[in-house]
Amino acid sequence: MFDKRFLENIDWLFLLSFFLIMVMGFVNLWSASAAAGYPFQWKQLQWYVVGTVFMFGAMAFDYRKLASYWVHIYVLTVIMLLLVMFVGKSVSGSQRWISLGFFNLQPSEPAKLLMVIVISSFFARDEKEQYGILDLWKPTLLVIIPVALIVKQPDLGTGLLVLGVFASLVYYARLKWTSFLIILGAALASFPLLWKFMKPYQRKRVEIFLNPESDPFGAGWHILQSKIAVGSGQILGKGFMKGTQAQLNFLPEVHTDFAFSIWSEEWGFAGAFVLVGIYFFFLSRCLYIAQNAKDRFGSFLVFGITAMIFWQVLINVCMVLGLMPVVGIPLPLVSYGGSSVLTTMVGVGLIMNVWLRRSVFQRKEVNQSRLGYGHVSSGLTG
Amino acid sequence: MGNGSKKPPDTKIRLKKFDQPEDDSRVKLVVYASWFLFCCFCLVGARLWYLQVMQGKYFRLLSEKNSVKSIRLQPYRGNILDRSGRLLAGVEPSFNIGIVLKDAGNIEGLLSRLEPLIDEPSMSVRMKLVAAKGQPAYLPVIIKRNADWKTVARIEARLYELPGVVVEVAPSRLYPYGKIAPHLLGYLAEVSLEQLKSERYSHAVPGDLVGKYGIEARFEQELAGESGYKRVKVDARGRMIRVVEEKMPKSGQDLTLTIDLDLQLAAEEALSDRPGAVVALDPRNGQVLVMASSPKFDPSIFANGLSREEWKALNDPLYSPLVNKAIQGQYAPGSTFKPLMAAAGLNEHVINMHSSFFCSGSMRLGRRRFRCWKKGGHGRTDLYKGLVQSCDVYFYNVGLKLGVDRISKYAFGFGLGKKTGIDLPGEKSGRVPTRKWKYRRYKEAWQKGETLNYSIGQGFLLVTPLQLSRMMAAIANGGILYRPEYVLGEPADRQGTVPVKPAILKTIRQVLAGVIEDPHGTARRCRIPGIRVGGKTGTAQVVRQVKRKQDEKMAWKFKDHALFIAFAPVDDPQIAVAVIIEHGGHGGSAAAPVARAVIERWLQLRSPKPSSFLERTASVSSMYRERPDV
Repeated sequence: MFDKRFLENIDWLFLLSFFLIMVMGFVNLWSASAAAGYPFQWKQLQWYVVGTVFMFGAMAFDYRKLASYWVHIYVLTVIMLLLVMFVGKSVSGSQRWISLGFFNLQPSEPAKLLMVIVISSFFARDEKEQYGILDLWKPTLLVIIPVALIVKQPDLGTGLLVLGVFASLVYYARLKWTSFLIILGAALASFPLLWKFMKPYQRKRVEIFLNPESDPFGAGWHILQSKIAVGSGQILGKGFMKGTQAQLNFLPEVHTDFAFSIWSEEWGFAGAFVLVGIYFFFLSRCLYIAQNAKDRFGSFLVFGITAMIFWQVLINVCMVLGLMPVVGIPLPLVSYGGSSVLTTMVGVGLIMNVWLRRSVFQRKEVNQSRLGYGHVSSGLTG
Repeated sequence: MGNGSKKPPDTKIRLKKFDQPEDDSRVKLVVYASWFLFCCFCLVGARLWYLQVMQGKYFRLLSEKNSVKSIRLQPYRGNILDRSGRLLAGVEPSFNIGIVLKDAGNIEGLLSRLEPLIDEPSMSVRMKLVAAKGQPAYLPVIIKRNADWKTVARIEARLYELPGVVVEVAPSRLYPYGKIAPHLLGYLAEVSLEQLKSERYSHAVPGDLVGKYGIEARFEQELAGESGYKRVKVDARGRMIRVVEEKMPKSGQDLTLTIDLDLQLAAEEALSDRPGAVVALDPRNGQVLVMASSPKFDPSIFANGLSREEWKALNDPLYSPLVNKAIQGQYAPGSTFKPLMAAAGLNEHVINMHSSFFCSGSMRLGRRRFRCWKKGGHGRTDLYKGLVQSCDVYFYNVGLKLGVDRISKYAFGFGLGKKTGIDLPGEKSGRVPTRKWKYRRYKEAWQKGETLNYSIGQGFLLVTPLQLSRMMAAIANGGILYRPEYVLGEPADRQGTVPVKPAILKTIRQVLAGVIEDPHGTARRCRIPGIRVGGKTGTAQVVRQVKRKQDEKMAWKFKDHALFIAFAPVDDPQIAVAVIIEHGGHGGSAAAPVARAVIERWLQLRSPKPSSFLERTASVSSMYRERPDV
């Protein structure tokens, strides 16, 4: 299935950084599981294994085929999101999961990745030097529907995240300055509207973020406790499984949204800096791959997935550090959650797919010149 | 691929375009994006540096505060014991019900559920919550102290629907013999916010009970003990994980008083609820054997806060239960002043045992007539008859011979007109008038008629029951003035001697025995078989009476104060008693029986075979001596 040269072309450093994040995530989840009182780390390990299979699956085929299946992918996304509305499982007020028996799928997670594929596909087909607002009505329409469905769950964080990924892709497609300013103005103007549509608890989170001391025992509790956890880690941390904030349950959701909080508490500035540094290296590498992709679709695809991971990391870490209101965005590969792990790993698999095939293309060019057009696709799968 | 025939050319065009390494536009976009990425991660790194390195210590402290809870361990308050070690005030575990406001959430809803369970008016609960504003939110506001078992059980059963409600075990005062000598012992009440700021109460925290009156206040620091603490690791729900550190509390010191429980009980029983006071001293060393003031109050009601009605009742101006009348009540001594007059007259040689005056029932001085209490008069009266029958005219004459200056000199000499120095807050000094004082006060010269009133203990002269008992003790012990002492073990504090020769005092003692023993004595009711008692009755006018009316017809509050001083045994005095019963009428009929009850009990205790009463109290006291386990 794989060409021998694939292995030669694999970016080992990239893979190593990715693997290190997974290891840290697993170690962290070990501690978080003790705090949460449920062995999440073993389930997560299962997801890592399943995810690795998926990742190699995502590397195995020519990614360019995805571009032509964008309609199918889009319809699948919308159906999943509609399905969750009707048969979804409701957990603490929001309907985000579809029960598959062995696994509760959170469709908004794969939806992020699938939308990256759909939008990348659009920009790959619709090639322009620069885009104005009017050129963007089609992809905007494509994005608005799933975002609306996600926000309806309600999962405002993920909805905004998809918009952020879309905005990143628009940036990569080169937006005209005038259009950029108009969109920016429109976004700012829509904030009051957004406020109006927010649920009371969401508003409360924003209010708490703006003034965390207003209610230290109520809604401000999470942010405050998270800051205490991170800060009290000091330089070297309290030690594995010794974070009092996490282990004594002062932190909420230690295994999911606040996973970085327990990491910082137990491993200190040193540990937090290393994890964030590895993320930085990993994401820079992703950008490098995007730059060196051999076709427009591949480049957009990598950039979009990178944006997806980047925004999640940034939002989650900023939330934990008290720089952002509380939103339910997981830290990729570190937070517990099958949907998130699988989505991230498939995304990484696609990035590697693009990276590996940059040289295949070089080889194919030679082949093309020698053998003609007809053999392009057969050469890729062979 | 089915439609592969159409696609490849498109692909190839794109491939060609992106193949060019000099595709500046894409490189530029990625470089910008990389810079953005870099800036964002720098921000995160800077934030981590700020939280963990710069503010790390502060947050570490916060996290420790979070997870380590300090529980204050209340010390046992010291016991207060009587002179033979019987428990006057001990400690027992009690249950306090409190609300931790931090955990309470909706306070109105909580109160509506809590109020039916506790037997406490809604207003007072709310008042306590309002009063507790400003104390740390994690400390419980105690809304009910000394809750009974039933209440505790009711609340414990419903704790799940009462967030923030806590039931605490706290030591509270136990009075095994009931409310004995509350004026002397004092009471405990919740420490006020102002008191918390003062050095005296530095050991207390909000919600603590501290001594606010009497001995409890005076010996607060000794009795309070030192609180301990227990530092425990807790989780976010407040569940205890383990004990980190523990320091046991140090119980307060026990305080043994010179008070004799039996005598005190006898005095209080005899007083019953009549307003008045009884003080008994040991004339040999000044130890206070009895200090009773009536009406009494219940010292346990202050701990839980007072209702308006209770407060009003405690401050009733007519009965003034909160005033310790033994040291704060100031009364005209009436005829109980006469022994002092007699001693002064003998000492100044203005009279001798045989000098006599004629009593016709009154005496004229200038244009005024000064009456004797006996309308018909006493006839020819010498010192013995004058004291035994309490002839006013006799002492008018003695007073005239002495003059105001010498009377005052002797009054001061017997310790009147100044504080006795007993170690209790709020003691009054009484008043011994002098010419100088009169002029300063009224801008008028001293009148001779006032000397006459002065001679029979009326007029400007005011004494406290404690002063009166000390005067009696000084006469009994041959002239030594001791500072009254109520803590056992303290050495006797000799403050001075009275300016009268001991032989004269001995004579006076013998005459005072006649007051009780003589068939004409005014205090025959105080006769006790088996012991010789000396004493002197007194009846102090409350309002100036132009005409004497029948006692029964007068309003109670215009009735005379009844006084009596006594000592026993006459030949070897070991107890000196002063009794005052406000508006009691005649000293011989109202006050003397009270003193008699005290001396009788004293005699009973001295006999080789103790009475059954003592045995009973001894067994009860041994029951309570051991501290109960909490």
